Amino acid sequence: MRIIKFIFVAALVMLLGSETALAHRVNLFAYAEGGKIYTESYFPDGRPVEGGKVLVYDSQDKLLLEDVTDTEGLFSFDIPKVDDLNIVIEATMGHKNSFKLKKSEVEAGK
Amino acid sequence: MQTKRALLLIMMVLMMIAADPVSAHFGTITPSDDIVTQDDDKTLNVQVKFIHPMELHYMEMVKPKQFGVMHGGKKTDLLGKLEAAKGKSPDQDQDFTFWTTAYQVRRPGDYTFYVEPTPYWEPAEDLFIVHYTKVCVNALGLEKGWDDHVGLETEIIPFTRPYGLWTGNLFTGQVLLKGKPVPFAEVEIEYLNETPGNINVVLPPADPYVTQVVKAGADGVFSYAMPKSGWWGFSALNEAEWKLKHDGQEKGVEIGAVYWVYTRDMK
Repeated sequence: MRIIKFIFVAALVMLLGSETALAHRVNLFAYAEGGKIYTESYFPDGRPVEGGKVLVYDSQDKLLLEDVTDTEGLFSFDIPKVDDLNIVIEATMGHKNSFKLKKSEVEAGK
Repeated sequence: MQTKRALLLIMMVLMMIAADPVSAHFGTITPSDDIVTQDDDKTLNVQVKFIHPMELHYMEMVKPKQFGVMHGGKKTDLLGKLEAAKGKSPDQDQDFTFWTTAYQVRRPGDYTFYVEPTPYWEPAEDLFIVHYTKVCVNALGLEKGWDDHVGLETEIIPFTRPYGLWTGNLFTGQVLLKGKPVPFAEVEIEYLNETPGNINVVLPPADPYVTQVVKAGADGVFSYAMPKSGWWGFSALNEAEWKLKHDGQEKGVEIGAVYWVYTRDMK
């Protein structure tokens, strides 16, 4: 009986877990302008990802910098390198996504 | 057997041509992509036409009165960016004008393209036709804006998110005229047979299959389940309160609210 209860709870937790992953899918959008790179992190319905961790990698997968998003889901920084950049957003509970900002776009925003 | 099938096909095509007068006119906006992801080309090719979707027939379209895109609640005029192009169906013997533009998606969110055509004189029906047409493209994971009102004289407001639809999904929308729901509005639905790469051209077995018809409820809300993958057009027709002159005589104007959605097979 206990085992059944345990399985039921475990299944429920798994269900809830996957449900949040779907409904809370995170996104990051980035663009370069006036020497800076601007990032916006959001859920599909437009709510900002607050306090999400942003990690910026170069084309060699070297971490250039990291910081957190503000209450509007925004984070901006000076262009660290003219390169193909991979910008990763990590929200709570392992929700993660990335955005590739092409070298040409970084160059254009210098 | 082969000849029999060929004969049947020819007969069906002939039937389609003969059935032409009963087929419905549709304002059309088709973008080259309905969901723009990070890895997709950010430049959309957008085509604006006036056609019989099921029969592939083009009608001559002069430059629209209004063409633009709404994103983040803001409208951008794109009329000056439209370029004329020519097209025809396999069984039409002359080219007709349609309009095309390249649009660069720069930010996340929903982009609703809309067109208000110049009134089209239809001698067969003794009236002018104006189809206010919309289509929505989603970009970069932000699903916001698709149910915003553009503010056209008549328009369909999607109640179903108009992208990411599977074949067989129910599309629900509301017909508005001057911003108010149209009770019991009649909505015509057609499949766009012309979709590039669509080799499975649908041959309707009888006239009623060309244009599907549903009626809205008292609140102007209608639904239709789409049985095949591709582009589907929804058109709600009303008679305008205003008239236009043709050869010095006042004529009625049919105003249509048209909306296009794309469906994909589940596999």
